[in-house]
Amino acid sequence: MNTRPGLPIAAYLGVLVALALAAAFVATLAIVIFLPPRPPDVLRADKVAEHFQEGYDHMTALGRTMNERGVVWEVRQQPPEEEESHELRMTQVELARTLDLESDQVIASAAHIKMDDSFVFRVADVEGLAAGVISAEEAARIAEEVQRAYEEAADRAEEARERAHEAAEARREAEMAAAEERLAETQHRLHAQREHLEALNEARIEAAAARQAAIAEARAAATAARQARAAERLAARIERRVRVENGQVIITEHPNPDVDVDVDVDFDPDEIEIPEIPDFEFEMAEAPAAPAAPAPPARVAPTTPVAPVPAPRVGRAAPAAPTPPAAPPAAPMYAPAPAGVLLISGFEFGAQLPDGRWLVMRQGRNWAEIGWILRAAGIIGGTLLVLSVLALLFARRLTRPIRSFADAVQAVGVNPQSEPVREEGPEELRGAARAVNTMQARLRALIADRTKTLAAVAHDMRTPLMRLRLTAEHAPPEQREKMAREIAEVEALVASFIAFARDDPAEEARVRLDLTALLQSIADDNHEAGRNVSYEGEERFVITGQSLGLKRLFTNLVENALKYGAAAHISSRREDGVVVVDVADDGPGIPPDQREKVFEPFVRLNEEGTRGAGLGLAAARSIARAHGGDIVILDGESGALLRVTLPG
Amino acid sequence: MLAMTDSAQPPRVLICDDDAAIREGLVEVFERAGFTAYSAGDVAAMERQLAAKGADLIVLDLMMPGEDGLSACKRLSGKGRPPIIMLSALGDDADRIVGLEIGADDYLAKPCNPRELVARARAVLRRGRDADTSAAEAVRFAGFRLDIARRELHDPDGVVIPLSAGEFRLLRAFVERPQRVLSREQLLDYAFDNDSDVFDRAVDVQVSRLRKKLERRGSPEIIRTVRGEGYLFAVKPTA
Repeated sequence: MNTRPGLPIAAYLGVLVALALAAAFVATLAIVIFLPPRPPDVLRADKVAEHFQEGYDHMTALGRTMNERGVVWEVRQQPPEEEESHELRMTQVELARTLDLESDQVIASAAHIKMDDSFVFRVADVEGLAAGVISAEEAARIAEEVQRAYEEAADRAEEARERAHEAAEARREAEMAAAEERLAETQHRLHAQREHLEALNEARIEAAAARQAAIAEARAAATAARQARAAERLAARIERRVRVENGQVIITEHPNPDVDVDVDVDFDPDEIEIPEIPDFEFEMAEAPAAPAAPAPPARVAPTTPVAPVPAPRVGRAAPAAPTPPAAPPAAPMYAPAPAGVLLISGFEFGAQLPDGRWLVMRQGRNWAEIGWILRAAGIIGGTLLVLSVLALLFARRLTRPIRSFADAVQAVGVNPQSEPVREEGPEELRGAARAVNTMQARLRALIADRTKTLAAVAHDMRTPLMRLRLTAEHAPPEQREKMAREIAEVEALVASFIAFARDDPAEEARVRLDLTALLQSIADDNHEAGRNVSYEGEERFVITGQSLGLKRLFTNLVENALKYGAAAHISSRREDGVVVVDVADDGPGIPPDQREKVFEPFVRLNEEGTRGAGLGLAAARSIARAHGGDIVILDGESGALLRVTLPG
Repeated sequence: MLAMTDSAQPPRVLICDDDAAIREGLVEVFERAGFTAYSAGDVAAMERQLAAKGADLIVLDLMMPGEDGLSACKRLSGKGRPPIIMLSALGDDADRIVGLEIGADDYLAKPCNPRELVARARAVLRRGRDADTSAAEAVRFAGFRLDIARRELHDPDGVVIPLSAGEFRLLRAFVERPQRVLSREQLLDYAFDNDSDVFDRAVDVQVSRLRKKLERRGSPEIIRTVRGEGYLFAVKPTA
């Protein structure tokens, strides 16, 4: 007997749940440890303008819409949807300034805006991040420097603007004067003589030249201002990469009205001036032979857009013709970003082109994030897989004793003499096993009692019969035969009682046997004994069953047939995987309403004139059913037909 | 009734049964049949008789007070004991098989025909005298296995081929006398009850049935016909 202590099933289940929780914990931990923080495909807000510009350059070089690592540049009729975003105001302004557009010609929006370090994700070149680490003091110093530089730049810009103003005034005055002069002269000439048309033309060309000179001067001034500004920004950017902008943003974040004002002031003059300049410059660059149309100082709107998209960048100092860039724009300027820099994702920036269309840079699907999610899913899936295997092993460990218990109980049910059930596994199961073993012991005792009783009954009944049979030897032959017949009849009754009482179809082992040979041997045995029993069937049916049990089954059927008729005919065949054996007699047949009843023990169809205890069919059916088959009664050709079906 | 013609002394039969009436009746039956018969009331007495007078055959009751027939049979087996016929009140096939498996040479259920008992006794004695193998539980030949106790034939695939009583007796007669020409009369003598009125032709019928069961698998001819003489079991059986 197994005395290992068993745990209750609840404990096993508890361990299972604990295992599940541990796996979840491990998965979470693994994600935290091995996966970098969830990486939104972010763009530093201070790099927007740069990126916008680079992408646009590349796009014009390619001559088509571009999609670079999730960021799309395209030109459309409709502006992107404006979404009022306080945080992006600065970026918007910056972009507008870079592009020399009015701030309402630039639209900025982003789905996610953060200024939080946690938003920063790791990128491949982490070295850069390490190199960029500076102390807070230094950052403050840099911020101050930046502030100073910025103010200086602003001052310089102011000066430049003033100079530009003056130049513009001068130009305008000169223009007016020239025009008046020309007008007067023309009138004069018209009035005097109309042939001096060429002179007028000359004058016009002169005036144009004068105007151009003025324009050139003004442009030089404006360009100088912007150059100064851009150079300043660029220098700062190059020097300290991210810190310069950092300074700006910090100023915005920490309310500093000066800067706001400064910024506004910074931009208003641009709005006035710049659109004029690009037009001319553009026309001169692309079509210098069209001075005949002294365009009115209308804003933007060149008569025909020459390039696929008129560049908003023409206000720049070096408006080089778009040469195909060697490489697509660098990936969005992802982190590392210093504290305070806005990080955006799911963004959309639009800038109005001179022809009214919109150049849009937007971020589509966030692939980096999806990749991250996939990796996280992989970690969780892997952990779950490991857990599943563990849980499976554990569950098998838990259920193995239950399965073997079921098998053992099954074995006890089939054969009470089988091994006792092993008391192992969970506590509850051990209790059940103990109960089954007790039951089995009682069952075995009962069977032993029954066997003993049956043996005693057989002994006590057959000993007198034997005595009687021996006594009959002294009788005259005629009487002797009669007595022998009577004795045999009583013997048969005793035998059928005992057989039925001890009937245990499950006890005998199952073997593969030739059913045809079995049926043939029954027919032959009966034939030898002078009875009219015949068999007909196919060559060989091998089935699995109990050799003695099946022999008894068919012997009982044949005996039953011979009880009611004079002849029995056995036939066998295979039908749909089932072996069918018919035992037909030439008796009176069995009425349909009696056909189930005759299988009950001690039921005899005809009380008078029949012998036997009425147990033969009952025993036969119980054997057939123990084999997974059955017996039914049908109408035969001349009498009853008992049909046995057995699984083939 | 056939007398034991080739033996100067009549065979001695020892009857062991706890019922006095049966004892007396059987002694009478056997003596009338030409045996020398004496009896014992239990196993201990039987062993004393056996030691004192010896016996050519024991008729042993199964259920007796004290030591029962089965255990006595088991104990006696294997030390040159005389053949044993079990006579039992338990008449089931299963009981018969147990009795034969334990070493009994034959098994009869009570109540039996006394003349059948005598016939079986003669058959057992004859077998003990003639047979090459006796009291073996199983005999193998040509891939087949004949289970004597269960009266079952196992073919080379292990499939049980049930035999009729006549076929079994005939096959047993053959395997106990292999590679010998056996006349129809001899086969009748060995394989059929003396009082059953069977003819030579019945032997032929049984032989042909047995052949059909043995030779359906295309194995070489096991039972050969010897023209004008009888039959020959052509293979050598092993235990």
